[in-house]
Amino acid sequence: MGIIELNGLEVQLGGRTVLDGLTGELQGRAIGLLGPNGAGKSTLINTLLGFHLPTRGTVRVFGLDAHRDRAEIRGRVGYMPENDSFIGNMSGVRFVRYMAELAGLPPGMALERAHEALFYVGLGEVRYRKVNTYSLGMKQLIKLAQALAHGPRLLILDEPTNGLDPMARQRMIQLIGEIRKEGSVRLLISSHLLRDIDEVCDEVLILKGGRIAALCNIEAERRSNRSFIELETVGATERFSTSVRALGCECASFPGGRIKLVLPEHVEARDLYIIAAEQGVQIRRMNQRRDSLEDIFLRAMGNTPTGLPTAPNEIERPAHVGL
Amino acid sequence: MSVYRLNYRAYTGKVTPLWMRIAVIARYGFNEAWSSKITIGLFILSLLPPIIFLVIIYLANNPMARALIGAGSPDLVVNARFFLVVLQIQSWLALVLASWVAPRLMGFDLADNALPILLSHPISRFGYVLGKFIALFGSLSLVTWVPISILFVDQGYSSPVPWFGNNIRLAFGMLAGALIWIAFLSVLCLAISSWVKWRVVATGAIFAAVFVPSGVGAIVSAVLRTKWGFLLNVPYMMSQLWQRLLGAPEFLGRLGSLPTLAILIMLAAACLVSVGMLNKRVRAREVVRG
Repeated sequence: MGIIELNGLEVQLGGRTVLDGLTGELQGRAIGLLGPNGAGKSTLINTLLGFHLPTRGTVRVFGLDAHRDRAEIRGRVGYMPENDSFIGNMSGVRFVRYMAELAGLPPGMALERAHEALFYVGLGEVRYRKVNTYSLGMKQLIKLAQALAHGPRLLILDEPTNGLDPMARQRMIQLIGEIRKEGSVRLLISSHLLRDIDEVCDEVLILKGGRIAALCNIEAERRSNRSFIELETVGATERFSTSVRALGCECASFPGGRIKLVLPEHVEARDLYIIAAEQGVQIRRMNQRRDSLEDIFLRAMGNTPTGLPTAPNEIERPAHVGL
Repeated sequence: MSVYRLNYRAYTGKVTPLWMRIAVIARYGFNEAWSSKITIGLFILSLLPPIIFLVIIYLANNPMARALIGAGSPDLVVNARFFLVVLQIQSWLALVLASWVAPRLMGFDLADNALPILLSHPISRFGYVLGKFIALFGSLSLVTWVPISILFVDQGYSSPVPWFGNNIRLAFGMLAGALIWIAFLSVLCLAISSWVKWRVVATGAIFAAVFVPSGVGAIVSAVLRTKWGFLLNVPYMMSQLWQRLLGAPEFLGRLGSLPTLAILIMLAAACLVSVGMLNKRVRAREVVRG
């Protein structure tokens, strides 16, 4: 059973359909939620938290209906909103304790966990300062601390690295990575930054115009997309191609000495240089890249990255290439 | 997750029941309200009249004092009118306290957009408002029915035995009058505070909400030569209600006596509007139409 099950979910807000028939099952340990502005990411998060009532269809979190059982779901979820959201007049530790008590922890335990959470995110030294004196990075961290303090089973992070400088961003990503490794918490991370999602997530849900544009396991996607290489050669190109094919590469030759090939797992780029040296072929240029999350995202958005090799089903395939 | 290890630890302990979350909101609200020195100052100010009334009760029941002042002095008679004055003074002091406390209860949450985080926890919007209501209602109780009840008990203890039994209606009347007033005040003040982010402005808006309609009501009554304009006059309505609850003579009646039912309907309508305002404002997310 997945953590989040979407079953024809439709949400209308202000007479406008924001989420349109989402169906799918999210079961990754860390799920990335991607999409352009207005795609419905925040609406989906709000629906998961029971803030919005689905117009049609259902959404289940841990097998519970997101609207009917919202109190129970909220007890198991830690939520870090995108925008500033705190009580500035309270000290850091008091704010986190308050949130932990609201989540259901007894007062003594809430205080203990508040201290721990603040130390964990790196705000231990400033935990007695009022929250409105915190820097932007600290405010992001205290939102994370309050989301963690009650030991949730699912952590929903809405743009966790928003407005952070590179150091603070790195720290936030590291923290999220540590939480993921610990294993008791599942993560749902909404972000505009593909790099953030790429670093910590193993599954991605891409929304476009309120619909699911892609739902895939990033690792599986990467495994299925082997290494693509584009070469520009001078010399006996056909003979070189034949030799490369003999190594087990899928290979296509084009006029002007251009060769596109797919490397199997056991062949490395170095092997190509060795063959070229043996056959007196000059390799003038080599482009090598793996299918990145950016490619997955752009494909989902309907824009193929230009000037770069694409997935096998989109690569131009001359007749002699046996795939 | 521990301080010295700096690693994450899941929580597996017991969880409090859902209704306790309302108590958490109320407790933190109460704490927030009373963390201000101005709140303490207003509270002390509100306790000064009961101290004076306590002295009056003592003098009224002390034969030596009565002999010195004059046994028939109207100032030394503890009756329905005496308790009506006590109730009125304490009630208007409660308005002052509410106008300071309510914006503190709502303002800090609204100023820093805390509602999305607060409501993402297992507490409903109703529970959140109820928690704030309890905090404000409790604070106002400390300056209204609690000291008034103490005065009544003191008078009952100090006077000859039949007085307590003969005047028990006063106790219920005062309790009902004070509870109606502080419940109305709590809902109204929370509603106004939820719409005004700046606390000082919210304090002014609360006074305006009570007294500006009174002026409008007076104009309506004068122009249309009707008593119904007084239904907009909260002080006038409440004075009439308190008089009837305590069975005191109606010294405001000459302006136009309002039916008790009309007063109650008007108060209920004001509360409904306030609840509507709270319902509109206390949301985790605002939906923009169109």
